[in-house]
Amino acid sequence: MTDITPKERIKRFFHREPIDVMPVFSGQGMVTIQAIEKMGIRFAQIHTSAEYMARSAMTTAEMFGFDAVIIPYNMCTVPEALGRGASLYENADGILYPTVPSKWKTLDDVKIDSDFMTKGRMPLVDDAIRILKSSSNGKFAVGSWVLGPFTMAGQLLELDVLLKGLKKEKEKVEEFLSKMTDLVIEVARHYQDLGVDYMNIREMGSGTDIISPRMWKMLVLDNLQKVFSALRSPKVLHICGSTDMIIELMNECGADALSVDQKNDVVESRRKLGNDVLILGNFDPYGTMVQMDVSGAESVIKKCIDDGVDAVWPGCDLWPEVKKENVEAYVRTVREYSKKASPAVGRI
Amino acid sequence: MGKETLRNELLKDLSDAVVDMDEDKAKETSQRVLDEGLNAYDAIINGLAAGMVIVGELYDKHEYFVPELLMCADALYAGLDILKPHIKPEDLGQNAKGQVVIGTVQGDVHDIGKNIIKMMFEVAGFTVHDLGRDVPLEKFVEEQMRTDSDIVALSAMMTTTMMGMKKVIEMIKEKNPNVAIMLGGAPVTKDVTELFGADGYAESAGNAVQEAIKMISRLREIHK
Repeated sequence: MTDITPKERIKRFFHREPIDVMPVFSGQGMVTIQAIEKMGIRFAQIHTSAEYMARSAMTTAEMFGFDAVIIPYNMCTVPEALGRGASLYENADGILYPTVPSKWKTLDDVKIDSDFMTKGRMPLVDDAIRILKSSSNGKFAVGSWVLGPFTMAGQLLELDVLLKGLKKEKEKVEEFLSKMTDLVIEVARHYQDLGVDYMNIREMGSGTDIISPRMWKMLVLDNLQKVFSALRSPKVLHICGSTDMIIELMNECGADALSVDQKNDVVESRRKLGNDVLILGNFDPYGTMVQMDVSGAESVIKKCIDDGVDAVWPGCDLWPEVKKENVEAYVRTVREYSKKASPAVGRI
Repeated sequence: MGKETLRNELLKDLSDAVVDMDEDKAKETSQRVLDEGLNAYDAIINGLAAGMVIVGELYDKHEYFVPELLMCADALYAGLDILKPHIKPEDLGQNAKGQVVIGTVQGDVHDIGKNIIKMMFEVAGFTVHDLGRDVPLEKFVEEQMRTDSDIVALSAMMTTTMMGMKKVIEMIKEKNPNVAIMLGGAPVTKDVTELFGADGYAESAGNAVQEAIKMISRLREIHK
């Protein structure tokens, strides 16, 4: 490794300029239990304190040698600000991510207050981003993410109402998705204005395990194109689950990079998209970092690189209860095994 | 038209209504089944449920996706609502006493797969105790004991919440080893099912339909 800072490495990476080694970062949560325990707090607390949110991200990055920090950690901040609540499971035994307890029951219930950005924990996330920007001293890149319009819709409206509505009340659903698109742009632009170094749009509920490629083209593609045309670079599109059938459509959305999970056939995706597209992925974070032994984890990371990703990203949030030695193996393997250029990014 | 020919025609219409997501047709045909004096349970199992099995196969072949699955389920329920009150107790056999506790485990609010399984148990004549979603683990144990249910069906969409299932299975099996446990959800595999000591699994909404039917058949054999 040269004296390029992690932040500079990621900046060059997204510009597809030569770098020394592959950066280790993600567009999803990367907080670990080792960092949380070092801070002497519990998992549930990192969602309700800007200081804890920022420090847990920073502590994890320092502990394992990541190139970036990324927040927030849960998908309920916007729904909560729109009055849908958030179950934080503060008294649960193990780790449980917050969920949305009261989604809208019908499309007629949808009401988006213009001041939602000031409600719930939205200001807390803003503060956490500010803390990270000031405390990382320009060393780490600061990333953030927002759910994509379709996935945000499913977080706010009962999913069966949304999915059946796609067929039964198409115009009303389209109107709702259009509102979601504006909302996603507002939140993502706001985080960009706060200075995040890269933005990931997680349209995770739109894989073809759920909707058909035809419906994706009709209801997801246009809205994502609007989102990405409204955002500054670097900007990433992440979809988990089955993406083989829509990978080419994903590439039409206007993102600088595409992130996929372990269900994607990256070799085939690379063949379809060519070597100019940044592909990020695609290991199963739970299986690889929690369940496997070190040698298994190393093999998975090497396979991601061999298959042709430009950076090895977990397919979802890192599950906090990772094995320390597996995360260390992840970072070590990426650094050692990625000395030669990846398909879209050269080496110094 | 002979009675058998008419039966076959109406069963096919019911199946087609489910596959074609046609609620009106499911209602009209179900009413015709009753008007013609045909057996309601036969119409449910060999008409509506048979259609849902085809839907499950279409889902697995990527011809249908979740929105289609939900619309097919609506068509099935439209017919079931009409036919169910006319089921004769002797048709149900042991299933008349069959009870299922079902729910999505704590930390998980995804319940589409769970609702499909619930529907298939209702179709087979079981009494279903639906705990909903985001259900605390001990609630499954309490409800099984309260109702003395034969089956506990647990659903988790996320790998991470799936781990909660293991605890529930241990708690239930410790108290009553004869309870059949069924797991469902995207991360659930055959290996997980065996590792957790469960009795059946369904990894997708499509194969949930088949797996529920298999489990119901197995219970019928046990009860014979």
